[in-house]
This record gives sequence, C-alpha cells and structure tokens, in this order.
Amino acid sequence: MVMLRGFLVLVVFFLLGEALRVLAGLPVSGGVLGMVMMTFTLMVRGRVSDELAEASRGLISLLVMLITPGVVGVFFIVDQFAGHWTTVLVSLVVGTLLSVITTLLLMKKVAGAGEKHD
Amino acid sequence: MTETSAFAELMAVWSSGPMLSIALTLGGFLAGQWMFARFGRPLWMPPVLIASVLLAIVVALSGLGFAQYEQGARWLTVLLGPATVALGVPLYQQMHHIRALWLPILVTLPVAATLAAAYALMIAWAMNASPLVLASLAPKSVTAPIAMGIAEQLGGSISLTLGALLITGVLACLFVDWVARWLDIKDDRIIGFALGLNGHAIATARAFEISPTAGAFSSLGMGLTGVFTALFLPLAFVWV
Repeated sequence: MVMLRGFLVLVVFFLLGEALRVLAGLPVSGGVLGMVMMTFTLMVRGRVSDELAEASRGLISLLVMLITPGVVGVFFIVDQFAGHWTTVLVSLVVGTLLSVITTLLLMKKVAGAGEKHD
Repeated sequence: MTETSAFAELMAVWSSGPMLSIALTLGGFLAGQWMFARFGRPLWMPPVLIASVLLAIVVALSGLGFAQYEQGARWLTVLLGPATVALGVPLYQQMHHIRALWLPILVTLPVAATLAAAYALMIAWAMNASPLVLASLAPKSVTAPIAMGIAEQLGGSISLTLGALLITGVLACLFVDWVARWLDIKDDRIIGFALGLNGHAIATARAFEISPTAGAFSSLGMGLTGVFTALFLPLAFVWV
C-alpha cells in the first residue's frame, strides 16, 4: 500500500506533465516536464515522503529493464539502416571522445581541481 | 507435422496476450544481471547489452517476431513515463551537491551538454547522414526514458536512438577512465559528473562502482543533462 501511494504520486505528476505539454504546446515529453515539476514541488515542500522515495527508488532500479525491449529492437533494424552504420559509429566514437575531453577539461579548469577528494 | 502445428498453436495462444513478452523481458533482464556478475562486471558489456542480445536471439528463433514481442512488452514500457518522473526525486535529494559546486556545474553543464550532442551531430552531418539518423543521434548522451521522448519529438527512430545510447554509454565509461588518467584528474566529483553527463545511466552504474560520491555526481550530471537537453534540443531543432 505504501508503495502504491508513492506510485500514484508519480503517475499523477506524469499526467500533469502531459497536460502541461499539450496545453502549453511544448516540444518536450510529458515525463520530463513531470520530472521538472516533481523537483520543484519537492524544493518548495523541502522534504520527500518515505512512500515517494520508496516508489521512485523501486522504479529507477527497473529502468534498465524498461528500456530493454527498445534495445532489442536495435538488432531488428540493422538492415533498415544498412548504409548508415559507419556514420553512426564514427560520429559516436569521435563525438563521445571529444565531449568527454571537453567535460573533464572544463570541470578541471573551473573547479580548480587537482585537489583530491575522497 | 502435427508437432509443428501444435507448437504454432501454442505460440498463437501464448502471444495473444502480453504475458509471454513480459516473461521474456523479466527473464532476459535477470539473466543479464546474473551473467554480468559472473563475467566479473566488464566495462564494455553492461547488463542491458547482454539482456537484449539474449532476447533478440529468443525473439528471432522462436518465430515470435519483434513486432509481436514489442506489442506485449508495451505493458512494461509504459512505466517509462512515471519512471522518468521518479528521477526528479534523487535530483532533489542531491540539491546540496549542486549548491556546493554550483559554479563549475553551472559553467560546464550547458557547454558540455550542448557539445555532447553537437560533436556527434556535426560529424554525422558532415558524413551526409539523413535527417532521420540525425534526429535519432541527437539525444545520444541523455538517459534512456528522456532520450526516447526527445527522439519521438524530433521524429527519430527510437530503436536507433537506443542503439546510439548503448554505444555512447559504454564508450563514455572507457573514455572517462582513459582521459581522467591522461589529465591526471583524481577528484571523484569531477569523474562522476563527466560520466553521468556523457554516458547517462550506463556510466552512472559504473560511477557507483568507483565510489558513492562519484555515483551521486554522476546521477546529478545525468539528471541535469537530461533536463537541459530535453528542454533545449527540441527547441534548437525547431530553429535549425
């Protein structure tokens, strides 16, 4: 029951996010808007109820399972994107390497790092 | 012959509802977790990769077919909506981390999150990628539930996006490891933030193996990148 109460809150915020998306005509998914609304609501309230923390932890631990069916689909579109895989791979490998270097350099510069943190 | 038709009949009955897809997905997920632990948690082979390879083999060989499987699995995947909302809770819980390191985060996040998408997009564009491929690659560094929403908004292919996400997540773990060593960065907060920003949930799982601090900053980097990209990428696509 405790878990259900938290789950209800999450579903209601998702529905509110969808409502905001449709009514305001935003090009952002309802889940993301719901997440932003959730964060702001919690900041205003200043605390998280146990049931909400519990439900969100449970659902987040299942995230990998929830995206698995979509990832399975990758193996069935190999033919459909036959000519594109080189492009996809090159842009992902080079792009990710560049952005990792950028992020680490920027953080190091701005945080004045080098000081160890354990 | 009768054996074949009996099997076909059984498959028809089993796949008439979503239960077969649900059982396969749960089984694949658990098998993936178990094998990942057995193989000694290799960086380049996260559980989601193992699970989806196993499932793809079963779905192809059993004759169930991906379309049928996906239809049943939708009973599980609808939960991605509330699961995305759930990410707002740890984001709130880490708010004190944001306050403590707000300046580097504020400076790095918009630049790095934009570049995470822009580098790959520019390379793909220079290599003459189609609009569909570009829209699918754009959210490559964003956590899956958010990325799927973005790809949908931009008109990309969800499956290609998830493939790009998987590859990016695995690469980010390897690259952050190498580059941090190369730049002599030992601050777990910075390493964690870079992992989450570039490699979403896959790299965040890796960050929690390094230390709880790295894990917290990785969740933070993942959450902030997700929100930032989700809010600005669709708008940027409309302008361009």
